Amino acid sequence: MPRLDAAPDYSLLARVLRDPATLDRMSSETFARAMDAAHSARLLGWLVEQVRVGHVPADAADWLRDRLMTADALARGYERAVLWEIDRLSRAFLDTDQTWILLKGAAYIAGGLPPGRGRRVADIDVLVPRADLERVEKILQENGWEFPEINAYDNRYYREWMHELPPMVHRDRGSVVDIHHAILPRTSRLKPSTERLLERATPGAEGLRTLCPAHMVLHAAAHLFHDGEIAGAIRDLVDLDQLLRSFGQDESFWGALLGEAVALDLTRPAYYALRYAHRWFDTPLPGDVAVAASAWAPPAAVRRLMDALVQRTIPEGFRDTSQAAVFALYVRSHWLRMPPLQVIRHLTRKSLRTRA
Amino acid sequence: MSGVQVSIGPFLVRVRSDLPGVHEYLSRLYSDFPVTAGEGGHFDIAVVATRGFRRWMRPQANLIVNGERPFLPLPGNLAGAGFEWSLNWCVGNQAHRWVAVHAAVLERNGRTLILSAESGAGKSTLCAALTLKGWRLFSDEFALIDPESGQLAPLPRPISLKNASIEIIRSRSRDVVFGTEGVDIEKARFVHMKPPFDSVQRARDTAAPGWVVLPRWVAGRPTALESVPKAHALLRLTDQSFNYNYLGVKGYECVADLVRRSACYTLEYGDLDDVLTRLQLLASN
Repeated sequence: MPRLDAAPDYSLLARVLRDPATLDRMSSETFARAMDAAHSARLLGWLVEQVRVGHVPADAADWLRDRLMTADALARGYERAVLWEIDRLSRAFLDTDQTWILLKGAAYIAGGLPPGRGRRVADIDVLVPRADLERVEKILQENGWEFPEINAYDNRYYREWMHELPPMVHRDRGSVVDIHHAILPRTSRLKPSTERLLERATPGAEGLRTLCPAHMVLHAAAHLFHDGEIAGAIRDLVDLDQLLRSFGQDESFWGALLGEAVALDLTRPAYYALRYAHRWFDTPLPGDVAVAASAWAPPAAVRRLMDALVQRTIPEGFRDTSQAAVFALYVRSHWLRMPPLQVIRHLTRKSLRTRA
Repeated sequence: MSGVQVSIGPFLVRVRSDLPGVHEYLSRLYSDFPVTAGEGGHFDIAVVATRGFRRWMRPQANLIVNGERPFLPLPGNLAGAGFEWSLNWCVGNQAHRWVAVHAAVLERNGRTLILSAESGAGKSTLCAALTLKGWRLFSDEFALIDPESGQLAPLPRPISLKNASIEIIRSRSRDVVFGTEGVDIEKARFVHMKPPFDSVQRARDTAAPGWVVLPRWVAGRPTALESVPKAHALLRLTDQSFNYNYLGVKGYECVADLVRRSACYTLEYGDLDDVLTRLQLLASN
């Protein structure tokens, strides 16, 4: 009997991401496969947006029309849920003079930015000054968020090594808030200044603050190419492309991006972000920006290795962590976060626990 | 392997499987449904055997629904039921053109009876018994309300009976086809009852709201059908809705409109025959 392969078709998704106009010419069946893959990669909101601007088969079957209504409702629902959580957080901080700013997905939604459209956000990420951590914990605890029980190792992992507290979960709604005091782990070799991020934050509607455009892009770059696991990262690269296109219309953005990359010690992630966004999505970059960033390239051998890893990982490796490339990138992301001995201890411990 | 497409109510469902149990299940309980060859559909359900020695020693069924795996693998002998549970997951999570409420729905004289109850309160038993009295089966799990028209869409499928209700319904229905009895992951005995031919034939005929009834079976209790404030019924139905939160204001207005157009009751009963008579009477008034 032939093997039944019902896994999401990520290579189809990768093609669609690079050229959304191919959606117009697809059969309903192929379009549905692209939609399933987008859903799995947490890019359903992106796809819904493409449909909204007209990228949809002209002769879509009735069942596909129904599915598009479902997708639209999901995308709106995801966004509404995040806005509600942000509203609850604002309320918790309302009568305090606490400085707090939104990061990542919640910031994209709060700022009305393209990657926020229809976005599914699992955790709300918030940045606060390190000195205020205890106070912030207390404010959130008074407003219904609590720490679920975690073991001593995990607790120590977060509190001593990481740049965030253990996740706090709301006791009624089950929603999760991650409180960060930095955008990279304490043990990381790169140490972007949280003070600088907070100082230059952009005030938004209703007193909500987010990182300034240059910092937002650098944070996304650091998350993708330094901190996070590149496996599962196609959405992060889509975010970078959309942020660069959106902010890049303002000419002053590019100078700020280059200057802040140096100021925050994030030149290497910035280089990778510009390189791979441009390679994958033809993100428009001013010529002088590309030239300036090329000074931050790693040695040629490292760059070739990185090209090969990204090339192999992005189209197909979202979840399949058995692949060597994905594993190499996973180890790399830890290598960058922690000193070598600590990496070995941590990964050994995690692997033992997974098998137990 | 391209599988088949089965038309189930308003949905076109693509089914694929490399386990014999799914085919047996479908040919026994879905024989009256329109089946076509082809790809695509509202839902793409694959029931796939775990590879390797497991396949021979202790077969497992993996459920893959529109590319996602919402469940842990099931024992291979539950493959057919796994299809049914996957379909429930789809309707609850992936059919937001309609407001989906957890309820049994039947139709009589062009109007629908919506039975909303907690699990174990006898909803499916009552639903199966009403179909045996000639009510048209819409669904034993879902009220599908179209926010555009306010009409209910039928979703006739096998009725899932559990534990004692299996014998109650079997004893009332000599001619009805049942699936293979099994034990589900919560250790409850279950069986699926084939839906009536006429209900399947009329699976595209929608109907208007009629009655919302909140039933509760209590041993030895005389039948009591009592009016309930509409606000109470509205709260119950929104609480039992799977996707009301995704539909926002539209979802709220849809359920509110349904309740406005329905007569709403609570129902306590201990005797099945007596309650069937009461509901027949309600429908003929």
